[in-house]
Amino acid sequence: MSRIIEAYVGEYASGKSENAVNRALDLARQGRKVVLVDLDLVEPFYTLRPLKNKLENMGIEVIAWETKDTFGLGEAGYVIKPEMRWALRRKGDIIFDVGYGVQGFRIFNLVEGALEEENLKIYAVVNISRPLTSSVEDIIAYLNLFGRVDGIINNSHLGELTDKDVIEEGIQVIREVSRITGIPVIAISVEKNLEFLAGKSNFQGFPVRFLERYMPQSLW
Amino acid sequence: MERAIKEEKRVFMTGNEVVAWGALAAEADIMYGYPITPQNEVMHYWTRLAPKHGRKFLQTEDELSAGFTTIGGVLAGRRAFTATAGPGNILLQEPVSMAEMMRLPMVMAIMQRGGPSTATVIYSQQEVNLTTSGGNGEALRIVYSTATHQELYDYTIKAFNAAWKYRFPTFILGDGYQAKMREPLVMYNPQDKGVEMAASEPFVGKEGKFGEGREPAHLRNAFSMEEELYEVVMEHIQDYNKITPQIVEYVSLGCEEADLVIVAHGIVSRAAVAAQEKLRREGYRVGFFRPITLRPFPVRALRKVCKSTSKFLVVESAFGQLARLVKEALFGLEAEMDEIFMPGLGITSEKIIGHVKKKSELKV
Amino acid sequence: MSASETTMPKSWRLETKPHKFCPGCGHGLVLKVLGQVVDELDIQERAVFGCDIGCSLLAWDFFNIDSVQTHHGRTTPVITGIVRANPSLIGIAYMGDGGGYAIGSQHLVNAANRNDKIFVLLVNNTNYGMTGGQMAPTTLPGQITETTPYGRDVDETGSPTLGPEMVAAISSETAYVARGTVSNMSKLKKFIKRAMENVVAGRGFSFVEVLATCPTNWRTNARDTWKFLDEDMKKYFKVGEFKTLPTEREE
Repeated sequence: MSRIIEAYVGEYASGKSENAVNRALDLARQGRKVVLVDLDLVEPFYTLRPLKNKLENMGIEVIAWETKDTFGLGEAGYVIKPEMRWALRRKGDIIFDVGYGVQGFRIFNLVEGALEEENLKIYAVVNISRPLTSSVEDIIAYLNLFGRVDGIINNSHLGELTDKDVIEEGIQVIREVSRITGIPVIAISVEKNLEFLAGKSNFQGFPVRFLERYMPQSLW
Repeated sequence: MERAIKEEKRVFMTGNEVVAWGALAAEADIMYGYPITPQNEVMHYWTRLAPKHGRKFLQTEDELSAGFTTIGGVLAGRRAFTATAGPGNILLQEPVSMAEMMRLPMVMAIMQRGGPSTATVIYSQQEVNLTTSGGNGEALRIVYSTATHQELYDYTIKAFNAAWKYRFPTFILGDGYQAKMREPLVMYNPQDKGVEMAASEPFVGKEGKFGEGREPAHLRNAFSMEEELYEVVMEHIQDYNKITPQIVEYVSLGCEEADLVIVAHGIVSRAAVAAQEKLRREGYRVGFFRPITLRPFPVRALRKVCKSTSKFLVVESAFGQLARLVKEALFGLEAEMDEIFMPGLGITSEKIIGHVKKKSELKV
Repeated sequence: MSASETTMPKSWRLETKPHKFCPGCGHGLVLKVLGQVVDELDIQERAVFGCDIGCSLLAWDFFNIDSVQTHHGRTTPVITGIVRANPSLIGIAYMGDGGGYAIGSQHLVNAANRNDKIFVLLVNNTNYGMTGGQMAPTTLPGQITETTPYGRDVDETGSPTLGPEMVAAISSETAYVARGTVSNMSKLKKFIKRAMENVVAGRGFSFVEVLATCPTNWRTNARDTWKFLDEDMKKYFKVGEFKTLPTEREE
């Protein structure tokens, strides 16, 4: 069984972390060993840090800063934890939650072995309700910035205002992006409490990942 | 100026981005800024958007410079703004005092940090004293404290218009949590909503020749005579008092028939209003009062509330900075004051509900 | 029009003359040259003159030019902000040595480094004149001021700041940097004119420090004032151009 190595990239607040966390937990529930790597270099203070213990109790290994170690990181800006650099040397599936401001594929220069790793898949998480990735043209321009994207996770939503129309508009736009770029849509991700919509929309045949929301707990 | 927002649109954003987009919609011409967490994405998004819309940005050497270059932008007649937090807000108070004296409509977004000193970056309402009463002077400024992303957008637009209409420095007061949290809002073009866009005009470098309808401007903030200063300051104070009724904004829910009124502002008011609703449903006679403008403070409205309810619970992520404004507003009236003061910490509705149930003698 | 001409520059504001600087003060001479250059370049209506706190404040109504009196040390960012917002204006930031080299030094360093298209004109008279003659960054070793009553001790308080040398080191190739003196008005005018031309052309940051007299705080008579300016100050402060078009350089 080959191991799964996925990196979730995308625009700020596109839902990268939520998708990465859910994917990691989902793999763990299948009985796999999973390492979740919080590769948010810009503001490590704001990301998975408060969730680390909780997620570890749920059966995944999390490489992220711990609160007690974060002294000064609110000010530090770009910081990488040594374990992040060597994350691929660990056993099991590896899920990277890549922060924004990554300047594309170059982020993987910082992870030993990433460029030679044939199992690495880079998935761009896109929410068409984010103003800078709201049209087909903008999304394609945005994906081009990364240099390499192996798949798209369509995470189009409007928070608590998400409805069937929002999701279906997302499907249309992202399908068009996929058609033009040839980048496959890996899945549509939808918040779990909208599961009832599955009855109303067949998500046009795309695989669906229902998301538990963890990230709000990371701030409060 | 071209319309930055082509059509009304529901979007999903972080608070810092909302400020950048709001400034764009408000026809801001130029931002001057210096990096400080948690406002950085205001700059990050402004610098991404500005060139596409013919707007400008200058990264300065510190917040003194950010504030004074913003003044320069205003003097040139441009809608100019900056954004900062915490220690940066301290430095910003110097240029703001110049703007107060010279009635320069500079606009600032503050994303409060924990304090004092460097402290923390996520959660705090500890810059209320500084933002409402900083500077050496009478702190004649407008301060809007926002609670939602929709408000961040609306009040960013409003801040530019209020500043240029009334010519007082104007703040949008958020916090690190609002800066980073994500929620939906509707972006719109203010003109399409009938929002009156206050015109901006240059103080220096106007068109035309001297002696032909234009005289050289001589602008100053120094005075030699006490009487001269007194006259200028009193004129500003009178102007400020006169426009106060037009500027003041607040939310008052169920205060007329209440035994207790919860007072909160900004992000904490979301927890407070949720607590008030829940307590009401459970039969507690609880009201909710939220100043949207912390300066000028809705004194008259709060005093009116006090006529029907004299028990207040002030809830804030600071140690009595809002309470000080509340007490000052109620001075001379009989009022009982309870408090939940949690400097630099988040406050949940459960916390407020628990407090009310435990401490209050209110019976269902 | 020559620098020594006795008529007032057209851009001077007659209503505010005679001006309020002390007899023998260097400010009036610097502002005369500046006025002449503004006239010659015909930029009176496009210029914005910003003045600092300290004696430079007294220049706030000196010209028939749009003028802004700012805070101590903050004239550079105010003028930067104006010109960034409206690049068609010609920004002049006028300040003393305290404003430029102490409280506002970070602004000077960064405006120079960013190559802001503004003209910073700094008057060096080796002390804080208006606040009562305290030590400035430019005070000479051994010089007595109100805060160095036994003379400036360089071990304790450092050596005179070499402003143009510093600005030349950190500014771009298109910057103009010079140090003039009120004891050589024709040379000073040449420097100020080149500085202004550099800004008018939108070429780069321009900086001129002027060695100027302060007999009131120096407590010197006319002869000793001139001696201090021409002999003592020149031991530390070299007059000349530090950065200019290669064809123009003058030592």
